[in-house]
Amino acid sequence: MIQRSRKMPVRGFKSHLFSIWVMFALFLFVGFAVLLIILDIAYVDREAFHEALSSPEIWASAKLSVISSVTTVVICMFFAIPMGYALSRYRFPAHTLVDSIVDIPIIFPPLIIGLSLLIFFQTGFGNWLEKHGIEFVYQPAGIVLCQFLTAASFGIRTVNTAFDRIDPRLEHVALTLGCTQWGAFFRIALPMARNGIVAGAILTWARAFGIFGPLMVFVGAVRMRTEVLPTTIYLEQSIGHIEVALAVAVMMIAIAIAALVSIRLLGLRYES
Amino acid sequence: MINITHLSYGVGDFQIHDLSLKIADGEYFVILGKPGSGKSIFLECLCGLNRVSDGTIEIAGVDVTYAEPKDRSIGYVPQDYALFPTKSVRSNITFGLRVKSMPADEIESRLDSITEFLNIKHLLARSVYGLSGGERQKVALARALIIQPKILLLDEPVSALDEATRESVCMELKHIQQETGTTTVHVSHNFEETRIVADRVGVLRSGSLVQIGTPDEVFDHPADADVASFLRVGNILKGYAEAEGEKIRIAVGNTIWVANGANPESSREVEFVLPSRDIFVSLDSPDTNSENVLTGNIVSVLPRGPVVRIAVEVEPGLIIDALAPPAFSRISSGTEVYLSFPASAIHILDAIK
Repeated sequence: MIQRSRKMPVRGFKSHLFSIWVMFALFLFVGFAVLLIILDIAYVDREAFHEALSSPEIWASAKLSVISSVTTVVICMFFAIPMGYALSRYRFPAHTLVDSIVDIPIIFPPLIIGLSLLIFFQTGFGNWLEKHGIEFVYQPAGIVLCQFLTAASFGIRTVNTAFDRIDPRLEHVALTLGCTQWGAFFRIALPMARNGIVAGAILTWARAFGIFGPLMVFVGAVRMRTEVLPTTIYLEQSIGHIEVALAVAVMMIAIAIAALVSIRLLGLRYES
Repeated sequence: MINITHLSYGVGDFQIHDLSLKIADGEYFVILGKPGSGKSIFLECLCGLNRVSDGTIEIAGVDVTYAEPKDRSIGYVPQDYALFPTKSVRSNITFGLRVKSMPADEIESRLDSITEFLNIKHLLARSVYGLSGGERQKVALARALIIQPKILLLDEPVSALDEATRESVCMELKHIQQETGTTTVHVSHNFEETRIVADRVGVLRSGSLVQIGTPDEVFDHPADADVASFLRVGNILKGYAEAEGEKIRIAVGNTIWVANGANPESSREVEFVLPSRDIFVSLDSPDTNSENVLTGNIVSVLPRGPVVRIAVEVEPGLIIDALAPPAFSRISSGTEVYLSFPASAIHILDAIK
């Protein structure tokens, strides 16, 4: 793991200007984000919070948000780990093309993913799946499918970068010491990629937790069924409940901060 | 014993082609070559990390050409040692034994003896971060040796070390190999290192072994001008050779040099090597009647540890490199010196076609 040095060299005036520039950029961004959150919280009165917290629909939506996003992370990592490793270690024809295709969902407008899924389930294979009970359109399972397609690329790319940073010779040595390919992967590469995997899971979860567009297209916003927190915000503000929408947004922020901090503490603990 | 026959392997434009080599039990064999000559690729073929396209590899009489690395009974130390960074020194060393699910008491006993032998017991609890180059190398060696391999493969094992410790580590490597009796294949591009450790040397060029022999054979009688130039044995010169009894007279510029050796069938232009270390340099004229005495002016003086490398222009355009005693470091350029060498110092490479 890279050991970051906190030593600071002796600096002249120009170096101080440099430090001011980089720290200004950092604190301007963070300050603006914090200001927006504070304003959101300040805008919401106690009644709106009470209404949001006592609404069974909103609780159901929060529960579905957490369950679907966590499920998506698990599925994404199930694919991202082998895919990231394959992209890092194997060279095959069209490697560059495949590598680029992995990134497509990152640059696609998320709404297109919802539309594409709708079209897919209009085709023969999609219809066949639906007829055999594998239903996604306007179903809770569709939420996970949408989140998976929207978020997986973030996980794959981050995990891929983590494997790229591991010297393959470590695994080669493990092979000569008696490991099979599986053993070298699970005993050497995977533990070393742990930070990248955690970072990938965080990015995947954050993306999955916050998506809205493709869900509206593919699963709709059926209360108590396919409604997740981002759709709740949309539904509440569309009927004029701005305070309740903001209260839900604050709930989302709180859940997100709690999740990100705990994953970081859990995942990156061994680095120290 | 390692028996490699007609080994071929290609990666990109690079080819190891029809390489055959036998290494005896307990031998310390050095593959010497320039960077890019295919040394590491060859070693990876022996490890089973590269699937060869043709030929066979036998280790201790067993054909392992297509065996997995774990089934070859090899210990491998790659160039920068590749210690597992998430594991302690102890876990690094015992990794191979734990993979093989060896009983704990057997692991402890082997760990005890290898760490005592390599004098690294005090490092066991440490993380691999913060180990010095020499310590890292010993941990990597211990990790490779603890599985008691039939052959030990070392990929430029001292290249990551500073010059001051390189020689002593090489001597230690040789000592370890002699104590354990493990057949060792060591790849290197360093001549001093090779001279210290090697029982035999193979010079690798563009994926082909161009010369195999003891260090003295290879360094004193390089196979061709390319090998001589790579080994920096000294002066590679051209002249016109003519037989004269038991000797060969070579016209080099305006002087006649005398060499030993088989008589050339006829007069011909030849390329030959005159090792720098075989040239005697003096400020006073030696016996002028003796053969192979040249005079010239010093062009450059370069102190090199216990010797001084000097370049002497013996006639316009003909510069001879020689190794002189340390006192010559105080001699300035332009000073006239005498160079003399025995006929046996000249090694004729081949006729120029």
